[in-house]
Amino acid sequence: MSTRVTRRELAVALAVPAALLGQAVVPQNPDEELKAARDQVRQNGETLAKFAIPVTSEPAVHFKA
Amino acid sequence: MAASVPEDVFFSSITELNQRLKNREFKTHDLAKAFSERLQRLGPGYNALALSLEKQALKFAKDVDDDLKVERYRGPLQGIPFGAKDLLSYAGQPTAWGAKPYATQVFDYTATAITKLAKPGAVLIGKLAMVELAGGGGYRMAGASISGPGLNPWDKTRWSGGSSSGSGIAVAAGLVTFALGSETSGSILTPSAFCGVTGLRPTYGLVSRRGAMALSWSMDKIGPMCRSAEDCGIVLQAIAGSDGEDPGSAGKGFYFAPQYTRGIKEIRVGLATVDVDEWADPSARPAFNQALDVIRSLGVQVTAAKLPDFPYGVLTNTIITAEGASAFQKLIESGEVDQLADPKQIAGLKAGLEIPAKDYIKAMRIRSMLQQAFHELLADVDVLITPTRPGPAPLISQPVGTALYDRPQPKDRGLTQLIPAGNLAGLPALSLPCGFADGLPVAISLVGRPFSENTLLSLGREFQKATDWHRRHPPT
Repeated sequence: MSTRVTRRELAVALAVPAALLGQAVVPQNPDEELKAARDQVRQNGETLAKFAIPVTSEPAVHFKA
Repeated sequence: MAASVPEDVFFSSITELNQRLKNREFKTHDLAKAFSERLQRLGPGYNALALSLEKQALKFAKDVDDDLKVERYRGPLQGIPFGAKDLLSYAGQPTAWGAKPYATQVFDYTATAITKLAKPGAVLIGKLAMVELAGGGGYRMAGASISGPGLNPWDKTRWSGGSSSGSGIAVAAGLVTFALGSETSGSILTPSAFCGVTGLRPTYGLVSRRGAMALSWSMDKIGPMCRSAEDCGIVLQAIAGSDGEDPGSAGKGFYFAPQYTRGIKEIRVGLATVDVDEWADPSARPAFNQALDVIRSLGVQVTAAKLPDFPYGVLTNTIITAEGASAFQKLIESGEVDQLADPKQIAGLKAGLEIPAKDYIKAMRIRSMLQQAFHELLADVDVLITPTRPGPAPLISQPVGTALYDRPQPKDRGLTQLIPAGNLAGLPALSLPCGFADGLPVAISLVGRPFSENTLLSLGREFQKATDWHRRHPPT
């Protein structure tokens, strides 16, 4: 079996991001894990910031006195 | 024969077993002994057992036998052996929450859900394994547990699903008649689907969480994992109810009365064909299509449905991680968090402490809008139906949460985000085994408006009258 990758195969592979394929990018050590987790927090914050909500919207937290 | 009971008891339903106990075919003590022995003999082979409670179970079983002897009947749960996820406390015994840092933790009180099952005479025979801290920091490997990866009884190279891994395994393998699990976002439905058992996620606030590990106060739910929808209804009736000691308690009870719900033909069911036609694993599509045909044949009114457009994954991730990091702040700041098994979970909890307040509050504000959107959606349909998971259980070695197959995702999300969406909105859900793909169970989920458990159970019961998938069990 040939292990050579053709240019066409390489182009296809590069054109489909790992996230689209649902493949996890696995960090190699705890520092990288923490960086990835912090990046996730930051990306979540960016997504939330872009989501428009009315000023009257109250959080789904209920406090009972 | 094991401990004077016939072998078929291990896969019998609650009502079947209770009738046989009342007929005095065998004693509760013998039943508890047989199940306890089986749980201890087979449970470790699946990494399903956290703690045997045989001694306590046999003592309690004798009391139940005394009641049965004088015909003091306490309902269908009397004498039925069950297990509880090790997230629930049992006074005087270790409650490890699946995590090494809590391996020796002991509470002086028993979780309310367990106490409520003792009243009608159900017999707790053991605590069941779980993903560490219910996976709150996000985990990558099935082995994210002090007990090791949950091994699927249908194929030990496959994952059981989590975080109620031991509960799913134990019911599927006939180690208990039913189990208690918990769900913050998918932890009852996923192992129920992968292991081929029927799982019910109750409406948020219907079942007390007193004595349960807190991961996400605004999303945690306790629910039953059983052999049928009927059994789920019986267990839910026992564990539901108002509890002043659970701040999230809805102050409502539950009476299992599927006979008094609307007729099946009046139920409006919403589904999205893209869920099966494009999202599902091709190997599972025939089973899902067959299941939807069965649902249609029951005479329900079927209509197309679409989820409101919200960033479900981001919302669940932000809310669960922020609340979980706060709940486990001491663990994280002490450095003991590094004793957890899964590096991603460790990092996720640490980063969770750094989530800005504005993000958490924004997520909770969007969540209010989401709840309103679901209120409107569920005014037009009574039940939403979708595959619980798009395919069968993944290999143990496969990172959790990755796709089952390599292909681009469809543009139309259909109802595929119903697990995070339903949890964010606090909606009840029922997962029903609906066939097999590559020899492994797959399931569909029914989701309804808050406190509509009887409607879901009624439809689930009719589905299970027309099929026998819930009666299948793996060779053990």
